[in-house]
Amino acid sequence: MENVLSIKGLTKRYGRLTAVNDLSLEVGRGDVFGILGPNGSGKTTTLGILLDVINKTSGEFSWFGQPPTKEVRKRIGAILETPIFYPYLSAVKNLEIVAAIKEAPTANIEPALKKVELFERKDDKFRTYSLGMKQRLSIASALICDPEVMILDEPTNGLDPQGIAEIRELIKRIAAEGKTIILASHLLDEVQKVCTHFCVLKKGSLLYSGSVDEIGAGAVTVEVMADQALDGALKNWTGAKEVKQENGRYVVTLAEDQSAVGLNRYLFEQGLVASHLLTQKKSLEKQFLELLAESENA
Amino acid sequence: MLRLLRIDLLKLTSYRAFWVLNILYGLLIIGIPSGVIEFLKWLKSIGADFDNFDPMKIPILYFPDIWQNITYVYTLLKIFMAIIVVITISNEFSYKTVRQNIIDGLSRGDFLKSKLATIFLLSLGSSLLVLLTGLITGLIYTPDVSFSEMFDGVEFVFAYFLDLFGFLVFAFLMTILLKRSALTVFILMIYRPVELILIANLPKAIEGIGNYFPLQSMSNMIEVPFPRYIFREIQDYVSLGFVAVSLLWIVLFVYAIYSKLKASDL
Repeated sequence: MENVLSIKGLTKRYGRLTAVNDLSLEVGRGDVFGILGPNGSGKTTTLGILLDVINKTSGEFSWFGQPPTKEVRKRIGAILETPIFYPYLSAVKNLEIVAAIKEAPTANIEPALKKVELFERKDDKFRTYSLGMKQRLSIASALICDPEVMILDEPTNGLDPQGIAEIRELIKRIAAEGKTIILASHLLDEVQKVCTHFCVLKKGSLLYSGSVDEIGAGAVTVEVMADQALDGALKNWTGAKEVKQENGRYVVTLAEDQSAVGLNRYLFEQGLVASHLLTQKKSLEKQFLELLAESENA
Repeated sequence: MLRLLRIDLLKLTSYRAFWVLNILYGLLIIGIPSGVIEFLKWLKSIGADFDNFDPMKIPILYFPDIWQNITYVYTLLKIFMAIIVVITISNEFSYKTVRQNIIDGLSRGDFLKSKLATIFLLSLGSSLLVLLTGLITGLIYTPDVSFSEMFDGVEFVFAYFLDLFGFLVFAFLMTILLKRSALTVFILMIYRPVELILIANLPKAIEGIGNYFPLQSMSNMIEVPFPRYIFREIQDYVSLGFVAVSLLWIVLFVYAIYSKLKASDL
């Protein structure tokens, strides 16, 4: 598949501090690519370099197989950190400026505002907007040029749960149109819910890069509860790799090719009835913490 | 270039402070000649004695004297127009909109050009207003106007344009370096007195270079005209040498702005 973005050996130093360290990455067309990392891990710096607001120290990157120029940026819709607009201008006027810069038709403004449900407030000044509205306006602004790639940096930062859900829905809708999305976040849950691929950064270095599905393919655990004691039966089951007891529940790590169905059937055959049975895929959060822990030990 | 000018004007045309400051500056330009007349009337009313000469007959606002007289006074007021430039450009940095502009697809050079285009337009607009004010005032006060006299000395309006444009580009540079609007305006206000003090204290051997300091060389284009009314010899033409020096300074300022923008992380 064609790469939308490819980065080779990107490095940014601020004096003695290395914010991005020899980073290499590939993002394919149509990916929803999550960049994960704790605060200060170099996510925003990396995106800033890719968008030419921060000067790199060394390394290379290319968009759509071309060297980065302003013409390439006109095909990208991007927001870094907080939404940035002229506070004294209305939403429409702000988007007119964006359209003029991107040489996009002003006819795109209305549908973009409708998509993020801000059309009714289009003539209000930006400074009167709530944080959620500001975030949505920045997504509208990123949509103005009908971009091939969208870059979103912490798009749900500071939003209430409803706002977060709205933004996620919006991202999924946009991704469904086949656009490539690059999403930086420190919220793992968010990345797992919307991304197809992800990478993990720590102190500017790449720890991991792969697809989200691969994570789910790891070991599966099942939580079991019953009125009777189960440890004997569970430990004798050939499908169990490991059995642990936590807060009155048994956590069974399944062997390859096993599922909760098999476990349930086995218990039933033993004359035991489970009152609670919960399959847990290995979450991105666990994977992430493991990766970070590994890097600490390394 | 026109596209870049349009982008910058989109930012400014709905900005109330931009209009308020522009209109105030315009009123200042229009108001000065009538201020001069009122001053002469006042001189007359208190019975100022110029060897029985009527102060109203001093040809301050007569063609062709008017061009050098008013443009000289206007060059002293350019700080007011610089405030507009400082505020609008420092806004781009405090709102971080310059960063978003670049992300959206302007190059740093485009940003510079769009601001220069606006500065050019502001200088051009106020020069046209000066031209118009000069023509109308001259027509009102000059006894026996002849067409050839009207435009004699009109090149001072061009010098005013260059002086204003140069100062606004200097204000642009200061804003880029200092980022904060209040600080920049303060520095711009004290810069000229500081330059004058420096020039006055230059060692004898290198005294001459004082004339080539940035704002001094620009102000040398239009010399103080008023001593001619007490029968002193003055430079009553635009000094082409200093036009060239001023242009050189402007090129240097623009280059400095470009290098600073290029090197900074926004």
